[in-house]
Order: sequence, then structure tokens, then C-alpha cells
Amino acid sequence: MVQPVLAARSLSKNFGPNEVLQGIEFEIFSGRAVALCGENGAGKSTLIKLLTGLYAPSAGHVEFMGEKVVWSDPRQSLAAGIAVVHQEFSVLGALTVAENIFLGDEPLTRFGLIDRRRLTCNARVRLDNLGITLSPDALVETLSVADKQMVEIAKALRSEDEKVLILDEPTAVLSQNETTHLFRIIAGLREQGIGLIYVSHRLDEIFEICTDITVIKDGVVTTSGPIGGYTHDSVVSAMVGREMGELFPPKAAVGAAGTVVLKVEDLVVAPGVPSASLSVREGEIVGLAGLVGSGRTELARAIYGADPSSGTVTLFGEPMPWRSPSGCIDAGMLMLTESRKDDGLFMETSVARNFTATTPGHGAHPAAVPPGHEERRAVLLKERMGVAVDHVGLPISALSGGNQQKVLIARLLENRPKLLILDEPTRGVDMGAKAEIYRTLRHLAAEGMALLVISSELIEVVGLCDRVYVMRDGEIATELTGETITEERIMTVAAAETATHRGGTHHA
Amino acid sequence: MHDVIRATRAQPVHLVVLALIAVVLLIGINTSDRFATPLNFANVQDQIVALAIVSLAQTIVILSGGIDLSYAGALSLLSVVFAAIAGDSAGTLALALLAVLVLGALIGLVNGMVVAYVGVHPLITTLGTSTILAGAALLITRRPSGSVPLLFEDFTYGRLGVMPFCMMIVIGLYLLAGFMLWRTRLGTRIYAVGDNEQAAAVSGLPVRRTKVAVYALSGLLCSLAAAYMAGRFGVGDPRAGVGFDLKSITPVIVGGTLLAGGKGGVLGTALAVILLALLANVLNFLNVSSFYQWIAEGLIIIAAVSLLVGKGRS
Repeated sequence: MVQPVLAARSLSKNFGPNEVLQGIEFEIFSGRAVALCGENGAGKSTLIKLLTGLYAPSAGHVEFMGEKVVWSDPRQSLAAGIAVVHQEFSVLGALTVAENIFLGDEPLTRFGLIDRRRLTCNARVRLDNLGITLSPDALVETLSVADKQMVEIAKALRSEDEKVLILDEPTAVLSQNETTHLFRIIAGLREQGIGLIYVSHRLDEIFEICTDITVIKDGVVTTSGPIGGYTHDSVVSAMVGREMGELFPPKAAVGAAGTVVLKVEDLVVAPGVPSASLSVREGEIVGLAGLVGSGRTELARAIYGADPSSGTVTLFGEPMPWRSPSGCIDAGMLMLTESRKDDGLFMETSVARNFTATTPGHGAHPAAVPPGHEERRAVLLKERMGVAVDHVGLPISALSGGNQQKVLIARLLENRPKLLILDEPTRGVDMGAKAEIYRTLRHLAAEGMALLVISSELIEVVGLCDRVYVMRDGEIATELTGETITEERIMTVAAAETATHRGGTHHA
Repeated sequence: MHDVIRATRAQPVHLVVLALIAVVLLIGINTSDRFATPLNFANVQDQIVALAIVSLAQTIVILSGGIDLSYAGALSLLSVVFAAIAGDSAGTLALALLAVLVLGALIGLVNGMVVAYVGVHPLITTLGTSTILAGAALLITRRPSGSVPLLFEDFTYGRLGVMPFCMMIVIGLYLLAGFMLWRTRLGTRIYAVGDNEQAAAVSGLPVRRTKVAVYALSGLLCSLAAAYMAGRFGVGDPRAGVGFDLKSITPVIVGGTLLAGGKGGVLGTALAVILLALLANVLNFLNVSSFYQWIAEGLIIIAAVSLLVGKGRS
């Protein structure tokens, strides 16, 4: 039996009462590529952080080259030869490409000073070897998202003796060409005997480049083995734990949508960005799909008046010349932002007060909200949204991501909106809560509400939306309806190669 | 050219500061015959020395994503200690210098340890140590006391032509700091930690040790400024540092260094120190009350930050 390079042995991790991972068994062999699959929040990122020493395990241990290791710092795992390409960029904007690649490992002169010439030179060699055409002297903040990702990869592979390379969603921001290029690099690394962990939502990619697969769901390994024994469908059902039909409620009948609620014409978000036009009807869930950075959030924020823009937005036939969030709320248009911690919730405040925050006086005299009023209203949360909470006086930080999201949606509904814009409504939410949120959204649509949903999860766009706009490089590239809404169609359009600007490439 | 810009971290905002310096110089020349004289310029430089050293320290701390408000207390205590030991001979002077350097580094180490290892916000940590040190200074002496040897006092007043000796030291310190930020690993780490601490950590940088080093360096520079101040006054003033906590930040911000860290450099701070000193000097010639000088300084800070913010948005 060949010995794994890196392995997790009954690894568990708790955050307070939340059991994020339980008894994980996971092995990486040299020269093989194992796909790590699972829905958002299943525990993939936590597992990677445990394997690299960023988190300490609550139980179990990590094995490296057959020996138990206790890494208390990512520096130790880096030194051992475990490189990570992080999902959140770890490249620094204020530094150059070369400085980023060799950060913490700069070539030194005899006097212990950074050898600038060799720094640039080594960086160029490394970039050339990987076939990346970037200037080592370009400032990283001037680069496009895809180029930043390439810098990240070059940085992870700066040393010659890497044993394990972990790629966390490396293609999320890459175009087709760049992805193909990355795959060639990965194939080369495998031949050199490097063991790979490949985290991705894109099943096609996994079947193309991986030799093994491990699926995690709700913190436990549901299945694991050589990839030959799996199909797309078997992976999906292992990830989701249920059939698509159970997750998503049936869509509205074709042609059931009513009058146009929102009409956006020639909206220009920023100078130089192509204009966008779209509409949303009564009783309809419209999706806004596209890669990260394709301009979905920017478009939604402009419609909502959170950012300035030019063009016309018509709500219920009334043009809205001066758009502002408060004006939109008065007109019945509400938006759920993508980051509930930054833009939505008061984390240390009670569940009840979070729920009533935007409508404190409902059902009471506005000048004096009687004690207990908020709590009584908050009881509705349990009834209407199925929020699992023992006591609504607890701080909302004590709830799971799914329940927090339900509270936020319930709060929006207290304003009796007619049009709801939801930016990543199920980010960081477990499967059970996801299904409930989907049911709620479909129910609202059936009652005549118009919904515009931004989502990076293709399954969600396909399963939930009646109509989908696909964005690419800031413009709406196509519109899909009914049977034409498939993951393949969306990806083909969203990731099609365009003349993306590649900042920094032309620097001297 | 590209390397020069990278090495000095030159930014467009530095041209604005340079232009403002030119404007102030022009106003000065048109205001008084005594403005554009060697004596006046030497005086302006004397005004610069202490603030320039402390602002240099603050620049490095802010670049690393921190802030050091301990200067008010630290300068007071260090100058009292210096004057208490310095006596009247070269031997005691050397001992005093050594003592404040060690004490200054120690103050910085404590700041750095509390910030990096205990995890207290630098604003709170250094405000706390500043209060402690200010109290300690007043416990040692209520009024200015102690003495410094005449040879040291002469040194702090001495000039080579139009340039005070201490100004040369200041220029040397700025060059050293600029070199440190550009050519040493510590320098790169300071920028990395200030830009994105999380990213620096996953890149395997020693984030905590970098922070400790930065505050220790800050304390060391502070002790030099304290010795200089004691030399100028001839005694140790237990209130010498009052106001230096916030005063040290102004040139850093006006010079284009991001308060959030990770971006900027010592060149901007140097230019801003010169601008602010010249401005105060010209307003003196114009017989403007020093209270208006405060108002002018406040306006400049806000204008500088608005400029940076506006640039970030476009």
C-alpha cells in the first residue's frame, strides 16, 4: 500500500456549539489529483485550513509523509511543501507581481538585503515556466481578477520542492482559455509527482483533471473513491443529499407572469461600461447569472440607487429619475445585499431587534414602542419563516448562517415589498435552510411579488429561476427562458472569451 | 525611472504637496525680507527636527496597519530620564543616551507585544501606555528639572552653514528608513502586514514579530527625539511630549500614507513636515495668531484626506 503524502485522520472541528467537521478521513497521494466536493458551507474550506495549520483540530490529527504532525501556523505547512491557492486572494495590491510571488522568501544579497534584480529575474522565470504573460514589475492592484489569480498560482508554486498543491476554486474567475491553460499546468505538476487537492463546483472540470473524489456534506464524508466509479448525477446527489426536485419547488407555468413591475433601460453603471436593459414581471423569479466580477452586483446596486448611474428605471410604469435606496423602499423595491454581516445584520443585537430594525413601530404607537412588543412580533419569525431559535432575545450571532438569512428576508418582508432584489440569497447557508428559502421565494412569487435573484450557484439559477439574464464583462450577454436555462448554456455564455483588458501586461 | 518611483514610493499627491510648498515660499518671500534668509531657514529646520523624527516613526507604524499614540507620554518620560542622568560630563551623557535608547525600545516592545500577542487594538494599547508614561514622568518631577552637558546643548544648537547638525541626522534617518522599507525583508513585511494581515499570514509571514519590530523601532526613534528635546531645553520637561501623539500623525496623512496601512512612504512624510513648518513660519511673519495656525493645519489634514479618498473612488 502506497503511503499518502498528506492525510486527515478522524479530523473534527467545532466552532462553539457548531460542529463544522466530524471524523473526516481524507488522503492525498503523490501524482494524483483528488477533487474535494461539497455545497457551500459543507466544510471544505475548514478542512483545508485544518490541513495547513491555519486552524487547530478539535479532535483527530493530520498526517504528513506517514507521520503525525501538529502545525500551529501556516508557515510550518508551507515549509513542509504544502502550497495553497486561496479562494480569497492572498495577493497584496500595493506590491508588484514579483514582490507578491516571493513574499517572505525574497532572494537576498550577501549583506542580507533584498536582491531586487534577482527578485524580478526569478519572478520572470517562474512566470515564463507557467506560461503566464505578466510583467513582474506591474502593481497587483492594477491587474484584472483573472491575472491576480495567476499571480496567486505563481506564488503558491514559487519553490521547486512542493509536495502538495491545494487549489480552492481556482477557475471561479477564469475564462475558458485561462482555465485550459491552468489545466495544462496542473497536468505537468502531477507528472512531477505533486499531490493535488482540487476544490471546485464545476463537475466537468473535476471529471477532466481529477483521479479521485471525496464528497463532504454537512461536515462528514459522504463518499470517496477513484473518480471512475462516479457520474455527474451520483456526485450531485452525494453533495446535495437529495434530488433536485426535493430542493426546488416547481416553477411557475409559462406565461403566468403578470404585468411588468420593473423596467430598466440603457442603464450605464460607470463610464466605459456597456449599458444594460432588463425587466421583471409580477409573479416571476428572474435570475442574474455570471462569473464573479461580471458586474451583477454593480448593476443591482445601480438599479436600487445605492450607486450613481445613468439610464432610466421604471417601476410600475412610473419613471424614477432620482434613485436612492430610501426612495426605492418607499416605492416598494427592496434589496438583500450579498454580505449579511457587513451590510445587513447587527451581529451583537438580539434576533428580535434585528427583525424589527427597519420597521420598529409596526402595530404600536411610533413614538413609544412598548416593552415586549419587538419580542411578540418576532414570534412571527418562527411561524412564517421557520427560524430555529430558542429565544428571540439572543444575539443574532448565535444563529446559523441559514437562520440569520431567514431573519433578514423576514425583515425585508415586513416592509411589504412588491419587488425584491436578492444578491446571493443562500450564500453560506446549509441545504435544509436553502430549500426553505427557495420555497419562501417561490411562495412570494406565487402571491404576485416580482423577484430578481443574483446567484453564483448554477444549480440555484437553474432550479429556481423562470427567466435568466447572463452577464459577462459588465453587459447582459444573453437572456434564457424555460427549457433553455441549463448550467451548460449559462457557463458557455458567461465564460466565453472576450477582449478582456489585461492590465499590467504592457508595462515596461 | 520606474525603480526610482518604486523605491521612493512617489505618488501624485507628492506633487500637490510640492506645489503647496512653492506657494507658501512665494507668499513668504512677498511678505517679509527676513523670510528668505539663511537665518530664517535654519530656524525653520530647528522647528522641524523633533516632529520629523516622531513622524518618521509614526509613518512606519501606520504603514504596518497600526498607530502609535504613546509619544505624548513616552517623549515626556524619556526626556526627564535623559536630563536626570546626563549630568555634565561626556561619560554621563553616553550613559543617558544608552538609558533612553533602551527604555524607548522597551516601551515599544511592550506596545508591540500587547498589540501583536494580546490582540488589543493599537489605539487603545498606545493610549494606555501613553497615560502610564505621562504619569511616571510627573512622578519623577513636577517641573522641568535635571540638566544636560553643555557640549550636548551646543550640539543641538550647532549648525554647519545653513543646516543644523541634527537636521543632517534627521535626513540620515529618513534615508535609512526608506532603504529599510525598500531593500529589507522587514520592509516588505511591513507593507504586506499593513495591506492585508490575513493574506500576509497565509503567505507565511511572521505577522506578530513584524508588529513587535515596528513598535520597537518606533520607541527607539522616540528616544532620539526625546534626547534632542532635552538638549534644546537644557532640562527634562515632564510635559515635553504633550500634543505629539496627534501632531505626529498629521504629516503622515498629508504625505499620502494610507491611515489603514500598506501604502505610502517616508518621502511624503518628509515633504509634509517641510510644508507644515514653512506654513507656520509664514503665518508668523504675517502676524497671524497661532490659533489660526491650528485651524489651517486642520483644514490641510481634511483636504489631504479628501484628495486621497476622491482619488480612490475614480
